[in-house]
Amino acid sequence: MTIKIRDVVNNDATLISRRAWSDDHIYELEKKGIFAKTWLFLGHESQVRKPGDFVQAFMCETPIILSRGEDNEVHAMVNSCTHRGLPVCRSDKGNTKRFICPYHNWSYKIDGELAVIPQEKTMKCKSDKSQLGLKKVPRVESWRGLIFGCFDEYVEPLEDHLGNMKFYLGAFLDRFPNGIEFVGSPQRWVIDANWKVPMENQLGDVNHGPYLHAAVVPQEAADEINEFGYSVVPGKGHGATFRLMPEDAPVDNVAWGMETITGILGGEEVQNYLREIQASAEERVGPVRARMKGLAYGVYPNLSFLWSNAGFKVSHPRGPGKVEYWSWSIVPADAPEHLKKVLRNNHASFFGPGGILEQEDSEAWMQQYLGSKIDFADDRPYYYGLGLGLEKPHPDLPGMVDNTANEHYARAFYLRWRDALLAVEDEA
Amino acid sequence: MNNYNSAVTPELQLSIEQFYYREARLLDGRQYQTWLGLVDPAISYSMPGRGNPMVNNREHGNEAMISVERELEGLDSDGLPIRDEGFLVLSLRVERSFKMNAWAETPPARTRRIVGNIEITDVTGEQFFVLSNFHLFYARPGVPDSFYAGQRRDVLVRDGDHYKILKREIVMDMANANVPTLGLFL
Ligand code: FES
Ligand SMILES: [Fe+2]
Repeated sequence: MTIKIRDVVNNDATLISRRAWSDDHIYELEKKGIFAKTWLFLGHESQVRKPGDFVQAFMCETPIILSRGEDNEVHAMVNSCTHRGLPVCRSDKGNTKRFICPYHNWSYKIDGELAVIPQEKTMKCKSDKSQLGLKKVPRVESWRGLIFGCFDEYVEPLEDHLGNMKFYLGAFLDRFPNGIEFVGSPQRWVIDANWKVPMENQLGDVNHGPYLHAAVVPQEAADEINEFGYSVVPGKGHGATFRLMPEDAPVDNVAWGMETITGILGGEEVQNYLREIQASAEERVGPVRARMKGLAYGVYPNLSFLWSNAGFKVSHPRGPGKVEYWSWSIVPADAPEHLKKVLRNNHASFFGPGGILEQEDSEAWMQQYLGSKIDFADDRPYYYGLGLGLEKPHPDLPGMVDNTANEHYARAFYLRWRDALLAVEDEA
Repeated sequence: MNNYNSAVTPELQLSIEQFYYREARLLDGRQYQTWLGLVDPAISYSMPGRGNPMVNNREHGNEAMISVERELEGLDSDGLPIRDEGFLVLSLRVERSFKMNAWAETPPARTRRIVGNIEITDVTGEQFFVLSNFHLFYARPGVPDSFYAGQRRDVLVRDGDHYKILKREIVMDMANANVPTLGLFL
């Protein structure tokens, strides 16, 4: 029997059925209710600087090309030939004038328009090429260099979708005089887990840190989070966690990057560079956000961000039980090249497939999927009630705020998720 | 690179092969602390990212067109290596392995590796440039078994009767990281 969404998440999202992470029907509803209708992260403007530049992306399981057209605009289109459906682009990234389909060599311009059907040469009738371009992603917008696309052309503007999350993302992105850039190709990690689990982890699950990561995370780090940590639900299913350091905290205790191995071992030059950024951060982000030392963020539905181990991550679903988890390292855009080569390592070695920390997470995610698939335990849904009702507004921080043990971030996520699925549940 | 380097005597080849066999036995036996003794404190230990770049038309017809090198995002590239570690991070990984809460390896993974195609490509003074390949079987409870394949590009230095690893670059042969972790000692 088909499961009903109202039986999956209860009204305050304190109880969630195991099926949320393992059921095929729910996964199909997620495609219809979420991935077809919500802004999804595609890439960063630093990846497509010049006309002809492109990178690959995904929207759920659908392959996407993100490119910069001859018109200097950013375009996103489905990487699937209109003739017989083959992907027309096989490289992760590059610069090109044309995407040429391998099967019959239809060729497409960088913005997805169909340029040439070679078979036409030998035929009298001409097809209407204007109708045969690659399927465009109807809405593409960017904020602070982060490019999103949406398959619903009537979706709210991207900035409305981000809402209060802009305050928290901006604390990082605006901290650097020229913003950030993405480094290299994403690390693509295929994990036997549901896509929402890595997402939930970065969205606000700071509380697992001192336990799951006790082998690596020092006690002082956990103490600092206990003392200065916040978990914020900015609205719309997003989440942000960070430490708000005291006004008299020494620069080295606040500055981005100082607490990672890269900062610690980087030597004077790296450290002085990080101190300089912090010294002028207030001019760019104001006094409150200058004191912010982030932990992890989540942008509904499947984008995550790590502050210190600087990375953006997207959780691409591959069925209820598999995720392709992409990680990019990021660096300040105006850092000297030789420092970028040092700072890019903030992410790798600790996170991503080779990460000493994230290997524990990926294990937890795989095991959570297995636990979500078992039989005979449906009367034991997962408990998401920690801290229920303790979150409050805060004079300086938009959204609802509490310490990092409150699971309100997950409740907010799953309430939006529930609404999205309820809205499509009865569509035949 | 000469096909036959006269500095590579059968004795040298044998002693370097013996070094790699011993290393493999230590790693599969989870004797990571002992293994760390084979690592030079100045080690550079890295694993390049591996992308799918565009084919360059101008290289059409040349071996360079489809070379492995152009797929790698290594230490010298502007891309993103999967790992870029020194002695300290390796020590941290070793330390982690012997804590009660290294959950990804509790119970520990069972690994078995075959190291082969050991080719000494150059000898300068006390440094030995060695390529080798590995296949590794990886199993841990509750998750499917995994298979790893890759190439090591090492620089060894002589250390008395033995060698130490001064540099190791691990080129993995995978498109996506379709394994539980690339954080192993490879
Ligand atoms: S499938 Fe693309 S040209 Fe025929
Ligand atoms: Fe974690």
